[in-house]
Amino acid sequence: MKLWWGIIPAMIVLFGLLGYGLTSNPKHIPSPLIGKTFPQLVGKDLTGKDITLGNTKGRPTIVNVWASWCVSCRAEHRVLVRGAKAYGSKVDLIGINYKDELPDAQRWLSNFGDPYLWSYQDLSGRAGIELGVYGVPETFFIDAQGMIVKKIAGPLTDETLREGVELITRSDVAAAKE
Amino acid sequence: MNNKFLFFILLLSMPLMVCAVDVAEDPKEREILEISKKLRCTVCQNQPISESRSKLAGDMRDVVAEQLARGKSEQQILQYFVERYGDYVLIKPPSSGNGLLVWAFPPLLLITALIFAVTVMRRRATSTPANKSAVELSEEDRERIQRARKEDKE
Repeated sequence: MKLWWGIIPAMIVLFGLLGYGLTSNPKHIPSPLIGKTFPQLVGKDLTGKDITLGNTKGRPTIVNVWASWCVSCRAEHRVLVRGAKAYGSKVDLIGINYKDELPDAQRWLSNFGDPYLWSYQDLSGRAGIELGVYGVPETFFIDAQGMIVKKIAGPLTDETLREGVELITRSDVAAAKE
Repeated sequence: MNNKFLFFILLLSMPLMVCAVDVAEDPKEREILEISKKLRCTVCQNQPISESRSKLAGDMRDVVAEQLARGKSEQQILQYFVERYGDYVLIKPPSSGNGLLVWAFPPLLLITALIFAVTVMRRRATSTPANKSAVELSEEDRERIQRARKEDKE
């Protein structure tokens, strides 16, 4: 019967959607902040100096959310230290110390090295909510115009860091040519 | 003896004291709870922030309380979270944009299935084999039937 032949493509589409739903990662939440300007947040760094987060115009910036209590940040930290050396001339690396204790955070940086220009003190986690952060580590890649180009939830690898740096430095070049 | 009985009754009624605390509630609390029920805890799996004990959910409830205190409406507060976490943060997907697909899909599927079922059944009803090749009875057959009926009556 001809009618049944209409059912088959419909079933294929349905199963395709089901397969997509079952294989995609439920923990991955696409950020609505991509393509938007990084919000300006006034606060203090870990030494108590007044700073403004998001004041990144003119230079591509990576904002990394970290905490001393975060286990996977430990693995990521090595990547960041290497990355800061390799890309420090092209991009700024800024930290957000998320829901941490100040002495713990300072000890962490003195023990494992400090790859950040400075780290924003977010002891209450409010800056985190302001940025739609739901887990640590999370990393924002911001181009020279201050626009969020990419966000990675979870620890960075050398590979993803390099890709992110390329992305924000490339759009920097494109904007300069205009 | 009587004292012991009284004591026993009092002891039994002690659990009720737990309820007594809940009665005296702040109407603001109720408002915070209502909004919290509509926001998803982003680090949990399918749980509103009103039910989650995660730190992030606690912070989000504090933000809800703060914004309410500043006179923001429920809609504005939900919007605040959507702008940062996306539509995902709403327990009920919005009935517009991509969310519309989620709402419209089940009824659409039901309607399509009904249309299909009705069409199949109609076709079956109009093209039964009995209609196409009904067996013609000959004179002889009719006589045999009548004879059989008579015999049956006798």
